[in-house]
Amino acid sequence: MIDDELVQLLTPEGERVANTEYESTLSGDEIFSFYRDMVIIRRLCNESTSLQRQGQLALWAPVQGQEAAQIGAGRALAPMDFSFPSYREHGVAWCRGVPPEDMLRIFRAVTTGGWDPQRYRHSVPTVVLGNQTLHAVGYAMGVQRDGAEEAVLTFFGDGASSQGDVLESFVWAASFNAPVVFFCQNNQWGISTPSSVQSRIPLYHRGPGFGFAGVRVDGNDVLAVYEVTKRALDNARVGGGPTLIEAFTYRIGAHTTSDDPTRYRIDAEVEVWKHRDPIERVKSLLVREFRAKVTAFDEVAAEAETLALKLRDDVLAMGRPDPQSMFDDVYAAPHPLIDEGRLELAELLGGGR
Amino acid sequence: MSEAVFHLPDVGEGLVEAEIVTWKVAVGDVVALNQPLIDIETAKATVELPSPYAGTVVALHGEVGDIILVDAPLITFDVTGGAPSPVAPATPPVEAPVGEGRQAVLIGYGVADEDAPVTRQRRRRASAEVVATTTVVAPRAMAPRSTPPVRLYAKQHGVDLGGLHGSGRDGLITRSDVERALHGPDVTLPVISPSVGADRPSHFAGRDIEAWSSGPLEERIPVRGVLRSMAEAMTTSAFSVPRAAAWVRVDATRTVELLDSLRRQERLAGLRLSPLTIVAMALCDAARHYPGINSCFDADAAEVVVRRRVNLGIAANTDRGLVVPSIKGADTLDLVSMTSAINSLVDTARAGTATPADMIGTTLTITNVGPFGVDGAVPILPPGTGAIVCVGQVAKSPWVVDDQVVVRHVVELSMAFDHRHIDGALASTVLRHMADYLHDPAPRIIAG
Amino acid sequence: MATTTMTMAKALNEGLRRSMEKNSRVLLMGEDIGRLGGVFRITDGLQKDFGEDRVIDAPLAESAIVGTAVGLAIRGFRTVCEIQFDGFVYPAFDQIVSQVAKLHKRSDGVYTMGLVIRLPFQGGIGAIEHHSESPEAYFAHTAGLRVVSCSTANDAYWMIQQSVEHDDPIVFCEPKSRYWEKGDVDLDVAPAGLFDAVVRREGTDVTVVGWGSSVKTMLRAADTAAAEGVSLEVIDARSIAPLDVGTLASSLTKTGRLIVVQESPNTASIGSEIVAELTQRCFYSLRAPGLRVGGYHVPYPPSRIEDDFRPNVDRIMDAVDRVMEFA
Repeated sequence: MIDDELVQLLTPEGERVANTEYESTLSGDEIFSFYRDMVIIRRLCNESTSLQRQGQLALWAPVQGQEAAQIGAGRALAPMDFSFPSYREHGVAWCRGVPPEDMLRIFRAVTTGGWDPQRYRHSVPTVVLGNQTLHAVGYAMGVQRDGAEEAVLTFFGDGASSQGDVLESFVWAASFNAPVVFFCQNNQWGISTPSSVQSRIPLYHRGPGFGFAGVRVDGNDVLAVYEVTKRALDNARVGGGPTLIEAFTYRIGAHTTSDDPTRYRIDAEVEVWKHRDPIERVKSLLVREFRAKVTAFDEVAAEAETLALKLRDDVLAMGRPDPQSMFDDVYAAPHPLIDEGRLELAELLGGGR
Repeated sequence: MSEAVFHLPDVGEGLVEAEIVTWKVAVGDVVALNQPLIDIETAKATVELPSPYAGTVVALHGEVGDIILVDAPLITFDVTGGAPSPVAPATPPVEAPVGEGRQAVLIGYGVADEDAPVTRQRRRRASAEVVATTTVVAPRAMAPRSTPPVRLYAKQHGVDLGGLHGSGRDGLITRSDVERALHGPDVTLPVISPSVGADRPSHFAGRDIEAWSSGPLEERIPVRGVLRSMAEAMTTSAFSVPRAAAWVRVDATRTVELLDSLRRQERLAGLRLSPLTIVAMALCDAARHYPGINSCFDADAAEVVVRRRVNLGIAANTDRGLVVPSIKGADTLDLVSMTSAINSLVDTARAGTATPADMIGTTLTITNVGPFGVDGAVPILPPGTGAIVCVGQVAKSPWVVDDQVVVRHVVELSMAFDHRHIDGALASTVLRHMADYLHDPAPRIIAG
Repeated sequence: MATTTMTMAKALNEGLRRSMEKNSRVLLMGEDIGRLGGVFRITDGLQKDFGEDRVIDAPLAESAIVGTAVGLAIRGFRTVCEIQFDGFVYPAFDQIVSQVAKLHKRSDGVYTMGLVIRLPFQGGIGAIEHHSESPEAYFAHTAGLRVVSCSTANDAYWMIQQSVEHDDPIVFCEPKSRYWEKGDVDLDVAPAGLFDAVVRREGTDVTVVGWGSSVKTMLRAADTAAAEGVSLEVIDARSIAPLDVGTLASSLTKTGRLIVVQESPNTASIGSEIVAELTQRCFYSLRAPGLRVGGYHVPYPPSRIEDDFRPNVDRIMDAVDRVMEFA
């Protein structure tokens, strides 16, 4: 359901649309760079799905269809801002500089994290739905106490929006005027549960319900997502408090590689959304307005191909971790049960530390 | 040609197998990495599998409609040369030990197959005791170290563990430590003599003889003294008495328990209570019930002499050889007196201070082979007697109680008897009587 | 050496104050801890002195109290969360077990979860339901967490400071029935390490272990036992996770008899863990099986009959009788 309050700057056909609140001032080069981001992330996502189907990953959560929502939001972040993802924000991680192979470690089941969160200012994945929104609010409260001009961006889906933690984070963000932006990707489905079951009202209406602004944006329009997110982050950064952004998009693929969407939704619906493809509309814009050449698109495709093959190699090279690693970093300080466990495992395996 | 095989992976749907729906390639096709190969139908959905290799299809391992098991080969490729084709292991990357495959589940690599027979993969190298960081305690009056069963045993026998030296590892107090405390140096437990080593002298025929390695190849010992007595008595008996034997095994657990509890009695402290005492009581009791057993065959007078007084011979192993002194009127003795009598009899026999009177007049004899760790014997009848009872070791054995196999203290009684005047029925009846006595001694002792 | 006498509540207050003075990144967060000073006055006066930014009156959401403390830890703050009552920690259980306990590991050691979760626990105050729980086992069971409990004012003063300074997340259990009891507090020297057990009374016949409110009960039982000729060695465990197994084992190899006293139900409890662990380490010293004197397998009863549920001198002495009867 799309209503008039949906912020859109680019139609599915690639034509600009005027909006009373927002306008895109991005250059051709910047828009092309977003195109490149989205093509690469889609290609890497498809490669990851293949890898799972070939038995090389335990699981994969695809972003297919949501590329614009994630690239648009990810590129709106300032370098010192901190982002708190769930487990599907591969596009955001890409924007933050997380190496693609590091994004796959959790799905290869060799770690529960994957990258250094402080280095990339992008937190480790959170699988328990909604937990990360509270972390984001707490971090934002820390930013306030440091008097820093930084904002926090946290991601969750339409399904997670029903979780107590998410709603508690709204309460706290409002009560403390925390510099946090809540980015909800409403991709219409929480596995097999449609978003209409998660909320009887448009999700972005919850923002005002809790005491702060809510805005719905066309999640497949990277220009609009970028502008909306940037404004919200800028606002937070200078003490304007939280904003709830609902990126209205669609999960073209399955929830994960273990899901079978044909059991609960009809192909016709998917086809409708395929015609709203985020990459195609940007490509049309680039051709029509910026005279982008075929060769430029081909180069991006080739680059994406190269990155995909590299990702494959990197994943195949991820071996079984040393079993002793299960004891690493459980505690910051020495702990007798950790010492005992290491010893016992070493005696059993006849080696190790 | 370098080949690679793509095995059917788990696609995360909780499946163990899949059905081939559509082949999207054929033998001979040149296939690119990730090119769709096949549509398979799992229990829940139709899934397309992309190629993990770039190469030429050599073989398809199934037809449309076939059910393929997870991990079974699906397609074989020729991946020789050509495009850089990553040699991906087609099986799940989790390197499980041999025999441990995984079955797919919804959210991961799947559940390990635990039905395949597995042998033990690893054995812990270091010591079994997980006592990684126990601080060594300064032994300021530490609790005596032992195990619960031994503690129970000690408590039941009134032994205080505190005073004992533990002969086990790290000062552990063992059951034999407790038994040593109970029985003193004269232990009536089966003593397994150390086998005589080639260099050790031994005792035989009433004297010490040289070691195997140092003594003469042939050594002659004069038949004199006790040796001569034994030889003559045994010969006479063996060639004049038609001897028969019977034996019985008995659950003597209650005898053992009775002795344990008696040992805790203060007024019996100092007495060496053993099963031999109860056997003596049993034999005397049997004699009172069946006087015929307490008899002898007087060939000269052509008479059978039945006596109503038991002079109980106890075969004693002494340095000088086997002697059989007797307790006069053993049938009149109560438990305490019988015990004292046996103790002093054995002591004097060993000390060599037994009087001639001690050595004669035996009517019934008991020989105890238990201390040697054997179960029974068919002894030779001492002259002038009609029966001799041999008692073996009391040892824990499987026994049937209420149709269940349980552990009991079992002992074997054997009897040799003069078959000129004692028949198998009487011998068996007497043995059975003794067995019943040993099986449940307390009421019979009390009855007197 | 400065020593003063104060209640446990005041000792906690002073300890928090010291912590906040020493480190400007120490924050307090909880319901009603600012203006009210906490329902038990533990944080009395602290908001006035340190300000609202450092002593935060939280909205009524336990999961958020802990979840935002996680975010603050990522930002480098050390938050002391107050959960108002033991029975109200459960909404935060997910954040504690799924996030607080695991984020250090999940981030390969990059995130430091240096936060404290203060929990008034145990019963004996005549309260209504959910205000007298002993949930320590749930947290001790979870790798990544540490769990401690103070039994005296002196321990309260020092252990809260040591907990704030520690880089691991600590569930800090405070026996609310002892909040108003006075004790001597040494303001200069800590009595022991945060994870040390302490022998409160030496003895030779039975090792009796407990924590929190049980410690005083065990000491009273020791007096009763002495009058009957039995010598109890009373140990305050102080650290529930990790257990100071060395101290406990030393005592048990001396006495050979073990009793654990706890308000929590015995089922799958810390007492069960102590008995299992020490049986393994001290098997050859055992004169009797380890016994647990704890709550029955029921929800905490209405407080009118809580004295029949909580361990008391009679129940401890009954256990003493039983262990003394064995070999």
